[in-house]
Amino acid sequence: MNELSHPATSPLSRRTALKLGSVPLLALMAQGGLSACSSSSAPAGDQNAAGELVVWYWGEQEAPGMKSFMDKTVASYNSAGIDPKGSVRQVLQESDTLYTAFRTAAKAKQGPDVQFFWGGTQALEDVWMGNVAPLDEYIPASVLDKIPVDSRRETYWNGKQWGLPFYEINTAFAYNKKMFAKAGLDPEKPPTTWDEFVSALTALKKSGVIPFGAGFKDAYLGGWLISYFGAQQFDGVDDALAPFRGDVQYTGDKYTGWLDRVKELIDKGLFNDDVLSLDLYQGQQLFQSGRAAITNSVQPQIVSFQRAMGEDTVGVMLSPSWGSGKLAKFFPGACQVLTLTSFSAKRKRGATFLEYLHKDDVMRAMYDASGAMAPDANFQASWLNSSIDTRMGELRKGLPSFWFQYYYPFPFERDGVTPAVQQLFQPHGSVAEGQKMMVAAIKKWQREQKAQVDAYKKWEVLA
Amino acid sequence: MRTRSGKSSRDVSRPYPRTGRRRPRARSLLGRSAPYLFIAPTGIVIAIVFGYPMVSVVWDSLHVPALMGETSFGIDNYTSVLADPLFRSALLNNLRLFTVVPVMTALAVVFAAVLYEKIVGSRFYRFVVFLPYVIAVPVVGIVFSYVWQKNGLLNQGLNEAGLSGITHDWLGDGRTAIWAVWFVILWQQLGFGVVLFLARLGSLDVGLIEAAQLDRAGWWRRLWHVVLPHLAGTIEFFVTLSLINMLSWVFNYVYVMTGGGPVRSTYVLELVIFNSAFQDNQMNLAAAVSVVVLLVAAVILTVQAALRRRVERMEGP
Repeated sequence: MNELSHPATSPLSRRTALKLGSVPLLALMAQGGLSACSSSSAPAGDQNAAGELVVWYWGEQEAPGMKSFMDKTVASYNSAGIDPKGSVRQVLQESDTLYTAFRTAAKAKQGPDVQFFWGGTQALEDVWMGNVAPLDEYIPASVLDKIPVDSRRETYWNGKQWGLPFYEINTAFAYNKKMFAKAGLDPEKPPTTWDEFVSALTALKKSGVIPFGAGFKDAYLGGWLISYFGAQQFDGVDDALAPFRGDVQYTGDKYTGWLDRVKELIDKGLFNDDVLSLDLYQGQQLFQSGRAAITNSVQPQIVSFQRAMGEDTVGVMLSPSWGSGKLAKFFPGACQVLTLTSFSAKRKRGATFLEYLHKDDVMRAMYDASGAMAPDANFQASWLNSSIDTRMGELRKGLPSFWFQYYYPFPFERDGVTPAVQQLFQPHGSVAEGQKMMVAAIKKWQREQKAQVDAYKKWEVLA
Repeated sequence: MRTRSGKSSRDVSRPYPRTGRRRPRARSLLGRSAPYLFIAPTGIVIAIVFGYPMVSVVWDSLHVPALMGETSFGIDNYTSVLADPLFRSALLNNLRLFTVVPVMTALAVVFAAVLYEKIVGSRFYRFVVFLPYVIAVPVVGIVFSYVWQKNGLLNQGLNEAGLSGITHDWLGDGRTAIWAVWFVILWQQLGFGVVLFLARLGSLDVGLIEAAQLDRAGWWRRLWHVVLPHLAGTIEFFVTLSLINMLSWVFNYVYVMTGGGPVRSTYVLELVIFNSAFQDNQMNLAAAVSVVVLLVAAVILTVQAALRRRVERMEGP
């Protein structure tokens, strides 16, 4: 497939969005959202009903231009008469109501026929709630087979494919080549191993700049750090799922060794001193304002850094490797997905539209309009128009695509990972305490969310 | 009962002449049900607006979701909540915020008493004291986030003043973050107390103050012996309201300023509810925490009512 699929955590993750949601919004969406939805109240068994096919999508926020792409694509689809039973209507969703509006609609069993989700567990949660229908019955294997297994795996559960990867969004480290050169480092050879990484950050610190710019007040950094460093002792996705199935304890170097690495960076003063005072994007701004040499971000934002700061200034690198598992070297990528809703009476028609989105010219149009790359074997590297995208394509060659955040339940991050890492920044923070917090978070989740625990036990990883 | 005229109140309230034998019986039936008919509309509205949600929340709290949309009935949500250290930590933080109430009340009384004296510029000072209260909490939260930052305005000011030794990462340190929030709540809510007390003082008999002044009572004695006793009811109201606010009205401050961090040091019960409901989609669990909050508020109101009865008994008829 494309040599450049990206994984990712959305810059505005679902959690960010949900934090913005609220009870009044729920009420608003119950009206406003529903008014935009399909009028079908789908009798079970009829999956080819006539009428308007409604697609709720998202993506403008992290891939500007997505709305324009969807508008044009849907117009082409409708005018081409591909679906004789009715037209498609696309409805762009807001970040803060993407999930709340859908769940309100799902409860009423009156909503979109096709629904967008952020990938991994963020989509599977709605599968487990019964809001999503499996794709296998409607989308031919020939279409699914074009999609990389790494991408499909994120929403493959209980022997079925539930989400069709729509576009990838990768994460990486942006670095300032000029600062590297000033610190005596080779700007064209950024560090790839942990030792090289620590040496480079130390040299950058000596040169008088902030080595790594980050913000952790809004709690999202923890999810990025564990996804960069927390799976490097894993040999496969099953290792990521095992603690949540209750098979193993989240202890030992295999699971919590990454905390030691983060602590090392903190103890050596390689982050900005106000990490806990700044939000994630404020930490990233330290890079853009020329105060920090490295920061973490999503691929489209790194492209925008480069456009703002110059191609000779901004480079991109993957997170350094410290572990010895098969996932020690991986490409940090993930996919956003489209699904067919369980209450739709037009699933066959919805599937036809999803297939259409994976046509070559449509995938290329999406990339040209928004920079979003479709995870599809037919996506061509020759279509790329940014050196960052090209470089990311080179970096991912031969590497498994994986993003830990898409495999663990979110409460683990909020109640375990985030406080565990935040306390490392405190005067008496310790790895042992962090480990306790993460174990406690998993126990809490297992106690409170038994349905999800059952789902994890049924989760067979797509080989 | 009897009125001064000697007629029964029933006679007095008779709205129609006695014209037929069946009329008294009809009147009697109407008389008994009339009060209920009059309050019925209000009762129905209250039942819909308050009763239904409360019953619904309790009902939800007793259901536990299972896979693929199924639910089971039980008290599992309550056992989960009570076993959760985060819940206890959040409750403790709410209790910490309770300590803002006596400080705020004392300051509000003093400020109100000072402003009541009609000092020069008192109208301007009233405006200044009340101003923070009318600013939206998210705005206050964002502004103070910048103030409390490690490299924020406060620390910059301290550095400029040669006090760099006491600069601190106020919101970034788990030991000080909740108190930074505490201060912001005090700063913003104080104005409401001042205005409330000033309004009560406005209806105070000026003669009482003047008499105390003639008796050469100083400012503090007048405050203690004249002003405070007359403010007692208002203070009681303000304290009760503020306590309930500290329990169920501080979400905005925490959400905007800290998000519950760092290291969960500023979690409050409302944040637990919000996260359960809107991040984890655990509405039933959120309902259980809501019921606990409701019970704590009920305890506060019960204690307040008991104290009031006791005070009334002490004061006599």
